[in-house]
Amino acid sequence: MKKFVIAVGGLMVLAASLVLADATPAPANAYVYIGWPNDGEELEANKPFRVWFGLRHMGVAPAGVKHANTGHHHLLIDTDLPPLDEEIPSDRNHLHFGGGETETLLELPPGKHTLQLLLADDNHRPHKPAVYSKKITVYAK
Amino acid sequence: MKSAHALLTVIVALACWPSAAAERTPAPEGAQVYILWPRDGQVIPGGNLWVRMGLRGAGVCPAGVARSGTGHHHLLLDTDLPPLDEPIPSDRNHLHYGGGETEARLEGLSPGKHTLQLLLGDQNHTPHEPPLYSKKITISVP
Repeated sequence: MKKFVIAVGGLMVLAASLVLADATPAPANAYVYIGWPNDGEELEANKPFRVWFGLRHMGVAPAGVKHANTGHHHLLIDTDLPPLDEEIPSDRNHLHFGGGETETLLELPPGKHTLQLLLADDNHRPHKPAVYSKKITVYAK
Repeated sequence: MKSAHALLTVIVALACWPSAAAERTPAPEGAQVYILWPRDGQVIPGGNLWVRMGLRGAGVCPAGVARSGTGHHHLLLDTDLPPLDEPIPSDRNHLHYGGGETEARLEGLSPGKHTLQLLLGDQNHTPHEPPLYSKKITISVP
């Protein structure tokens, strides 16, 4: 009986580690980018502007939808990339677009700001390899 | 016996009722489909381009997946809108992006004028009610 319990326990640990390690694969040529605004763009402060999410060689699917070669967009504002092997945080610096949105309206206070896109799978976890854009800088004036 | 017959008739009628054509997916209110790039009148040397497919007020979802407030893109090349109450044809003039793609690569467009128009389809490739389609634009390949 004791052996059996140990065996079951071992299997559960193995299963858990497989789930954690099992990052969703992304095609090597997947390319995510910010189609608008451009790097260095000057924008009017506290006035909504559009951010257009570009994605090539992959598709968009809402969060929770498991479909090969897809993901959903996350927009990182004024922050660096989060750990790429865990769920992307959800806060005012990490905006989730779990409805499959491909653009958004954003409003920034005056100053220098950074924007970066990071794609994630149905469970909000980055792919392997992670698919993220160049980090761009915009100036709100 | 007569009532059993009547019941059977009702069952058959119900089974035939929800035809795909009759039940169109409602479009998210205020949603808008547009071609972000190229611009209307754009000249495309070489005839190779990426078409950036824009969608506002709705999300993209692969074909076959039912999710409210979403659809997938279809690019109409050199053709008018198809009938809007049935599945969009799939051929060289009606390109499907059922994988949830948001950009379309076109290669080897022949010299001359070409028209591009986007039409969103639901999980069954049928346009929404009301249908969501872009302005039809014209590009030219020298």
